[in-house]
Amino acid sequence: MSFLGRSAGLIPEISSPPVVGGTEDVVTEETAVRPGNGAAPAVTPLVREGDLVAAGAAVACLRHAPDVCFVAPVAGRVARLSLLPGRRLSEIVLFREASGDVERHDTADAGTAAGLRRLMQGAGIWPWLRRRPFGGMPAHNEVPAAIAVMAADTRPLAPDPATALEGREEAFLRGVAALETLTDGPVLIFSAEGARIPDTGRGAGRIRRLICGARHPQGSAGIRIHQAFPAGLEAPVWDIHAEDVAAFGTLLETGVLPMLRLVRIGGPALREGRLLRTHPGADLRQLTRRIVAPGQHVVLAGSVLDGRPAQWLGPRDRQVSVLPREGAARKPHWLIAALSRSAIAPAIPSAGLDQAFGGALPALPFIRALAAGDDETAMKLGLLSLLEEDVALADYVLSEEGQITAQLRAMLDRIQSEFAP
Amino acid sequence: MSRGLWNRETVALVLIASLMPLALFWVWIEGIGALARFGLALLVAAGWHLAFMLLRAQPPSLSVLTTALAIGMLAPEELGVFRMVLGISFGVVMGELVFGGWGRNVVHPSTVALSFLGFGFPAFAWPVFEAPVAWAAVPALLIGVAFGVMPAGVVLSAALVGAGAAAAGMLPEPALLAGGVVLALLVADPVTSPATMLGRWIGGAFFALLLVFFAAGWTGAAPVQIAVAAALLASLAAPLFDEIAIALWVALRRRRHGRT
Repeated sequence: MSFLGRSAGLIPEISSPPVVGGTEDVVTEETAVRPGNGAAPAVTPLVREGDLVAAGAAVACLRHAPDVCFVAPVAGRVARLSLLPGRRLSEIVLFREASGDVERHDTADAGTAAGLRRLMQGAGIWPWLRRRPFGGMPAHNEVPAAIAVMAADTRPLAPDPATALEGREEAFLRGVAALETLTDGPVLIFSAEGARIPDTGRGAGRIRRLICGARHPQGSAGIRIHQAFPAGLEAPVWDIHAEDVAAFGTLLETGVLPMLRLVRIGGPALREGRLLRTHPGADLRQLTRRIVAPGQHVVLAGSVLDGRPAQWLGPRDRQVSVLPREGAARKPHWLIAALSRSAIAPAIPSAGLDQAFGGALPALPFIRALAAGDDETAMKLGLLSLLEEDVALADYVLSEEGQITAQLRAMLDRIQSEFAP
Repeated sequence: MSRGLWNRETVALVLIASLMPLALFWVWIEGIGALARFGLALLVAAGWHLAFMLLRAQPPSLSVLTTALAIGMLAPEELGVFRMVLGISFGVVMGELVFGGWGRNVVHPSTVALSFLGFGFPAFAWPVFEAPVAWAAVPALLIGVAFGVMPAGVVLSAALVGAGAAAAGMLPEPALLAGGVVLALLVADPVTSPATMLGRWIGGAFFALLLVFFAAGWTGAAPVQIAVAAALLASLAAPLFDEIAIALWVALRRRRHGRT
């Protein structure tokens, strides 16, 4: 489909002040344990308000799969435990305790596939995994057809995964080798051209190194998986960030899961940018305090393209974007309001739209299938490998506020209820 | 949220901007008569857009300007107001507005209007373009392709096949010039040309081949008539080329991955 190859894609220009200061470790005073995006899972809380928990200790487990735990990223005291109706996890807020313990996991039986899986689920790595199709955390007993390790990130203002892996080469390789035992298929490592990613050795069994271009969405997991090993209803593909694989490797060696990860704070509403190491569930208000420019602003967990307003860093987020808050829009003229309510303007093909999918699939037929609700054509064109973040660039290019993303999610939900086993 | 800018009206505006060289040379050479034809086409087309906005709450689009320009430039001459209004109304309503407006149409409304006028009133002469107007199609196509609003595959393959045929003496110069103008005004429209990479290359080449074919075998037809007929058939065949391209792509992926 694309003769442009690795040069396909776009570089959305998002202004941001330069990064100031070194990469320091930040542990926020308040921390929240939250599930990833999507439907909140039903959980059994393992702590009560006021309890002291160690860093890495389980605070809740899935109600119907008690092996899968959510863990406290830092040591602290449980301040608030809030569940949604149906005992679904909303958030568990912790106050940091500087003198807290660190939980040490037993890695004795990590040699077997079942033991490894139990370790990953108990140590809290499971929420860092994501499955395709449909997204979300994999089921506790799911065997993936392939695992994608993302050592590339082309979203605007994303931190460089190669920087995050510096000095952790051995841990990364150990993590990759362990991931290989979880699947019968390939383990695909995607990295940018010339990136200093630890070498796994040429032709090392099922571990494959693949190169992707520098423009977005070349480093988007869905686009890469779509091209290298498409996910199917019977063939789930997991993806995980390379830094999390390195953390997994450290867990296997020491029994302690390192929680700190490289996070970039950027965006037009800042006085200065930051590159720091912090933990999932970090308090974004504390992270952005004193560096935000005067005036109203909105803090997004995630990139400008696919982030969402949040107070806490999500389990898979590596970016915080701060945007100026747009004032309440003036009420449009009644006729314009009526017209824009009545009809959604169709997407017009342009070179920008073709590039918004990196040349990986026929852009306009895919957008048309999404808009028309044509499940089968969309699945034929590669819908099952894609998630919201992979089509966010098309939304941006077409200047539509999350419309394509919403259509994709609605279609995935429908397919999941109709086709999925 | 931060947003890009390539929504429907931006594409329409950039398309108008890229057709400017063609429009300006045409008005410069033809004078006030050209403006009158363009004005009439714009008035009728805009009237129908307004009617569909009020009756069906369908937002009007600036693409009405490109429609009016194409009809004004390519319609047979001396038709008279009544026939022109009839033809433009048919093209704009049946070619575009009943499908839901620009972006959902299958055939370019100007192509429909021009075919209606050409086949309905064959006694009237088709316009002949002076060389400066016809050559202005080249900058128009270049601007459109550079800004990404005209599909590069269609323009390049049509230009390659057309130039090759002209060099081989199979495409006479009047047909080549008319073909260039029609390529810029009708065939390179982003909505009604094929949407896949392979489909675009086939579609552009198909238009140019039809042009060669008609120029050789259709005796007594004017160059613009030939080009408009080729544009009509090319845009009717566009969904077929897309279907072929997608089927091929899906088959290749199936062979490679075992699923799509």
